Amino acid sequence: MAVNRASRGMFLLFWLAGGLLIAFILLPLLQMAASQTPARLGRVIAMPDVRAAILLSLEAAFMTAALAGLLGVPLAYLLARLEFPGKSVVEAMVDVPLAIPHTVVGIALLFVFGRNGLIGGVVNRLTGFRFWGTAGGIVVAMLFVSAPYAVNAARVGFESVNVRLEKVARTLGVGPWGVFTQVTLPLAGRGIMTGLTLTFARSISEFGAVIVLSYFPMTAPVKIYDLFIQFGLNDSSAMAVVFLTVTLVLFILFRSLVRGRRRPHGRRWSPGRPTSLGHGQ
Amino acid sequence: MNPALEVQTVSLSLGAFSLCDISFAVSPGEVFVILGPSGAGKSVLLEMIAGFHRPESGTITMAGREVTTFPPEARGIGLIFQDYALFPHMTVRGNVLFACRRDPGRAVSALSRLGLADLADRWPASLSGGEKQRVAVARALAMDPRLFLFDEPLSAQDARTRDLLRDELRGLLRQLGLPAVYVTHDQTEALVLADRLAVMNAGRLVQTGTPSEVFNAPSNEFVARFVGVETVLEGRIAAGSDGDVRVSLGTHDIHAVGDGASPRVLVCIRPENVVVARGMLADSSVRNQFPARVTSVSAQGPLFKIALDCGFPLAAYVTRQSFLELKLEQGSHVVAGFKATAVHLINRE
Repeated sequence: MAVNRASRGMFLLFWLAGGLLIAFILLPLLQMAASQTPARLGRVIAMPDVRAAILLSLEAAFMTAALAGLLGVPLAYLLARLEFPGKSVVEAMVDVPLAIPHTVVGIALLFVFGRNGLIGGVVNRLTGFRFWGTAGGIVVAMLFVSAPYAVNAARVGFESVNVRLEKVARTLGVGPWGVFTQVTLPLAGRGIMTGLTLTFARSISEFGAVIVLSYFPMTAPVKIYDLFIQFGLNDSSAMAVVFLTVTLVLFILFRSLVRGRRRPHGRRWSPGRPTSLGHGQ
Repeated sequence: MNPALEVQTVSLSLGAFSLCDISFAVSPGEVFVILGPSGAGKSVLLEMIAGFHRPESGTITMAGREVTTFPPEARGIGLIFQDYALFPHMTVRGNVLFACRRDPGRAVSALSRLGLADLADRWPASLSGGEKQRVAVARALAMDPRLFLFDEPLSAQDARTRDLLRDELRGLLRQLGLPAVYVTHDQTEALVLADRLAVMNAGRLVQTGTPSEVFNAPSNEFVARFVGVETVLEGRIAAGSDGDVRVSLGTHDIHAVGDGASPRVLVCIRPENVVVARGMLADSSVRNQFPARVTSVSAQGPLFKIALDCGFPLAAYVTRQSFLELKLEQGSHVVAGFKATAVHLINRE
């Protein structure tokens, strides 16, 4: 949109407001990073339990994203394509985790996945596996709080795929599974990957639900809290900076992977771009 | 020989749309057009033939084999949508390969048949409307279809492109010789493309026939108005029966050809059959001639539509040249004429 004289004032004001928000996000992080010394960072990186906690966070968040994709993508497709009775209730259910305090999530999960829980108790008796105090519990807690991101973003991705493309694909002799994997999934790819990236990010930052369900083994946020309680600001902020750097690098890497798929010829196609046909030429 | 497609007494209700007791057959090699306003249920009918909706009653048969319950992938029907629905994440070659189970030989032959060999590595977004149309047809062809279905493929194009693509499509359909069902709301498309056509309204086929039957002898007022009969008037048979009849339009009588079976009739006159002159048309076979006043003039593409008041309303098309020579304008006094055979009578009750 061309910015003419009359709207210049408005845009200036909006830039000012937006700039304040960006500064508000960046300032604490930069200040914290700036107040570290190399020696302190080195000492924290050298601690085996710090490295283990960061690795565990990454592994659990990765597992969570995979699970959210496996369970959330089918639901997202149903919500994008079908009208059914009770659909609005299902939609509300998907968003419920966003509205619950994370400590409450942890406590609620204990009722199901805890020692005497519906699932936790049965699984423990049958296999000996525990959800409390294990990486299993961490994944369960992460999945609960991050699943809405996977479902909602994948749904937007599916909705951007013109249903006529699926119909034409069927008439060309390919069954529903083939159409889903060869047409729908690739075209909704960007939406799905965005959802999984957000799921990963949300999972790796989760603290409240994790600490209730599985204080041990410690994820990075729990370990940072632990350092803060035991040794104060210095060590905890140093680990925080290390952890932030790792997650930000991964986050930026994912985002550029999702956006940056290029094609060799012609007008390029990027995954997940709304395929409203006819605006191509 | 079995019809390529036979739809028999099919009914279906689907949300706001319903199909009611629809029957028609398409012969091998024939282009059958379904013409109707939006909301008539044309697309639902097409998607039902393609296998996306199962009829509540009735049967669909293709070349003697009933396919009513077959899924779309088992019907061998090439569906061509508005804007062609090319897969944007595949090249032209990829689109065609998708349809022939990755058999490169068939893909190459489909591409070359449509003159697309040079475009095989292009992405759909970089193609012109005509190229997209050919890719869509090539893709359907690669699947070796027994029938083509077209769902208003030209409706999103601008007027110029539409004319070009329509003519190209007619050439393609003649060249391929495959039967096709073509859905449109555009009477020109129907006239240009159809071997036979059906007019659809509110989920029913209201008239089926050749283009000239439907356009010149519409069976009811809806069809008449939809296929471009501008003058539809209520009349009463004043004299004559079986052959030459006189129809009273109130103040005036006109000559027409009819069976006189019903005293009350609808008089249909196509605007292209009305002659406009400055004086009486002497020594001609034009038996209906009336002094008339021009009430309005509007440009309609290359023609001018002249609304006339002859004591009854009448619409005429004149060419640009006639329009200039006759110096027509609102209020001009002229003579309007039309042959008795240009009057189509629809019996009422």
